[in-house]
Amino acid sequence: MPVFKTPFNGYAVKFSPFYESRLAVATSQNFGILGNGRLHILNLNPSGPISEFGFFETSDGIYDLTWSEDNDNIVIAAIADGSVKIYDLSLPPTQNPIRSLHEHSREVHSADYNPVRRDSFLTSSWDDTVKLWTIDRPTSVRTFKEHTYCVYSAAWNPRHADVFASASGDCTLRIWDVREPASTMIIPAHEFEILSCDWNKYDESCIVSASVDKSIRVWDVRNFRIPVAVLNGHGYAVRKVKCSPHRQNMIVSCSYDMTVCMWDYMVEDSLVTRYDHHTEFAVGVDMSVLVEGLMASTGWDELVYVWQHGMDPRAP
Amino acid sequence: MATQSNTPSANLTTESPQLSASEITQATGEDVQDAKASPTPSVFVNTEPMREDQVQNAVNFLSHPKVRGSPVIYRRSFLERKGLTKEEIDEAFRRVPDPPPTATSAPPDNINQGKISVLSGIFNSCTVNYGQLALTNALPQAPTKVLQPPAAASGAGAISTVGTARSRFHWYHTLLAVGVLAVSGAGTALLFKNALVPRLKSWIRKVVLEEDELAKKLNSKPSLTEETAAAAKAAAAAASDVAKASQEMVNSKNEEKMYFMEFMNMLDAQQREMKSLSNSIRKLEGQSKGLGRNSFVEQEDYRGAVYTSSKPVTNGKADFDVGPVRSSSSPASAEQPPHPKSYMEAIFSPTGKAPCGNIMAMVQRGERPPNIKDINDLPPNPNQPLSNPRMAPRAKPWETAPAQNMYGSDMKAQDTGVTYEMNGDNPAPWWQRKNVKITEIEQDETKSAPYSMPANDRPIQRTWVPPQPPPVAMPAAAAAIRQPKSSIQRDQLTDDQLLARASDGTDELQRITKISESGGSLEMNGGSSGQDSSEIQQERENGYEEH
Repeated sequence: MPVFKTPFNGYAVKFSPFYESRLAVATSQNFGILGNGRLHILNLNPSGPISEFGFFETSDGIYDLTWSEDNDNIVIAAIADGSVKIYDLSLPPTQNPIRSLHEHSREVHSADYNPVRRDSFLTSSWDDTVKLWTIDRPTSVRTFKEHTYCVYSAAWNPRHADVFASASGDCTLRIWDVREPASTMIIPAHEFEILSCDWNKYDESCIVSASVDKSIRVWDVRNFRIPVAVLNGHGYAVRKVKCSPHRQNMIVSCSYDMTVCMWDYMVEDSLVTRYDHHTEFAVGVDMSVLVEGLMASTGWDELVYVWQHGMDPRAP
Repeated sequence: MATQSNTPSANLTTESPQLSASEITQATGEDVQDAKASPTPSVFVNTEPMREDQVQNAVNFLSHPKVRGSPVIYRRSFLERKGLTKEEIDEAFRRVPDPPPTATSAPPDNINQGKISVLSGIFNSCTVNYGQLALTNALPQAPTKVLQPPAAASGAGAISTVGTARSRFHWYHTLLAVGVLAVSGAGTALLFKNALVPRLKSWIRKVVLEEDELAKKLNSKPSLTEETAAAAKAAAAAASDVAKASQEMVNSKNEEKMYFMEFMNMLDAQQREMKSLSNSIRKLEGQSKGLGRNSFVEQEDYRGAVYTSSKPVTNGKADFDVGPVRSSSSPASAEQPPHPKSYMEAIFSPTGKAPCGNIMAMVQRGERPPNIKDINDLPPNPNQPLSNPRMAPRAKPWETAPAQNMYGSDMKAQDTGVTYEMNGDNPAPWWQRKNVKITEIEQDETKSAPYSMPANDRPIQRTWVPPQPPPVAMPAAAAAIRQPKSSIQRDQLTDDQLLARASDGTDELQRITKISESGGSLEMNGGSSGQDSSEIQQERENGYEEH
């Protein structure tokens, strides 16, 4: 399985929704504490090694990225200095970024593109807000300000164009509807900070949250008092969780215990596979929408692995 | 008033779940039946009725004097974390007497002030006619919400009076503005006279003084160098003193060691003398009396004397040894990395898993790590038009299939994926090859095991192929051996998991052992899938036949 070494510490990895063989990696220097950032665009080759299509440098670290669902050339990066930068891959690096939107007052921690409407995206920040943007506007469309601590993640519902969820350090998940002035649901999902959330692609009311308390909880928003499942198995905080785009019951997660785990939450013994290929915090993970079973992960050990579920990521 | 508004809302939430999402708050419910009512109920809205016990707890919490002093936003956040719904929190806030419209003890933080005004805006909007907000049908920023309802209310009133009022307002407004400007102008003029002019004077004086000082400095520079030289000398002298002192310490330690050794030697000498003394005594006594009981007693005494004299020696040695062992054990225990309460702690903790303690130390010292470059990452052309997309958006696998379908949805998606790749690249790139196999195996699995095929079995198939045992000479014996194993397996599985899984598991085991026993060259994983399916079906049939 191919490996790519980045010069900086990895923070996020995402497959392109247009090309099976393309993915982007967000990296930050000095573990993202202080330093530059770099956004790599990588290509998978059928013969084996990963090649780099290009990279973009930023003055501050990049914490997250998202691909546009409408335009195969557009990548949006969430920068640690509070700005959101939009890159166009059809232009050379000297003409990039094409936009720099600076409205957040603190680090932007996540970005997510609307897969249904395909014209808007969300950014969530450590300034406790979530902002809604469209590609064509220079300013945000809306700011959602209800959390009382850093918002670590915001995710669109894959079936409802106007619904999204946000996960925050104030230990709550909030469900929002863009048409409503305030959040529509507040789920006190964990006793500790919630670092990541994702919707189930096949069950529109099922949402998954990952927290510092080392557990992943699966919720049904129609009955949010009790989780549908609690997945324990990570040794440290779970940094990112993603629901499989191909299987309703499969979830992948990465954690500060340096492992990437695949879970089946409908089964009693939920942990399906544990991959411990990283030698530092595993911080980013993604599953390809176009190729079933293909996953990628990155971490602070400056490596990006791409492998098929069931195979050893470190196998040559 | 509070109870009255309670009951209609409770009725509404239980009777009419069909009403739209705008019915979140339980204020005047009648107006909710407006144009916003959507035909299908939104699942992303809380439809629980209000829990009176939770509201009561919240009221008690909010009435606590200590809580009264904290910002509103923290109180709300606390209640949210306790699992109260928005309606319950709002109700509690309404019940607690004299809710503060803005923060009573407002923290100086601007962001918090914004939050509090947002919350108060939300709070106010809850008490206002929600239907009117919906009618305006805008998505305003939160602070402007407070302004909207009164504006709407005034708009609903007589328009003509508003018009004349507006014109009068204008006049008045301009008068005020002019007055304010004049006053501010006078004020700034006064300021200029009183503050700026003397400042200018003092600045000029300073400049003049500085020039003088510069001249003085130039003269005193050589003395500075002398001073630095003297300081360096003093530092060197101090260093030499320190060296001397440490040397002396070492010497004294050596001396102490020597004293200790001498002491030991003296003790040994004493011991020997005691020994010789006792020997001589014994001899004397032996001469006077016969050998007998006394010798035993003396021997014991002798032993006791030896022990007592040796004790301090051994104790001293033991103490010396235990010391370093103890000290080495404590860092081992401290190295247990603490569970990070928040992930930020993982970065900032000096011990444990954090690999970046060094960076944090540098940052805290105010140093800039050397490898950071100055990069200009601003867009060179902020109005750069977006390039045209070269491909239309691709359908998602969950969009092509009906919801909640575990396996059937893959077919179409996989076909499109596979065919696209076949057109463009080499046939079967490494990430596609595996993919094809998986779907085909699962097709067979869907035929044989329709539901609740546990995912646990899949990795068994993909990653580990059971090694083939040599072909069995006596299949009957093998079957007999196999039977108890399968029953044990069944017991184990039913203990832990569902019955369906257990039967599937045992069938699989039987299947695997069947194939290996037949000595066939086929493996579970490899080979063509077509053969696999027929083999599997065959084996299944064989299995059923056996039973």
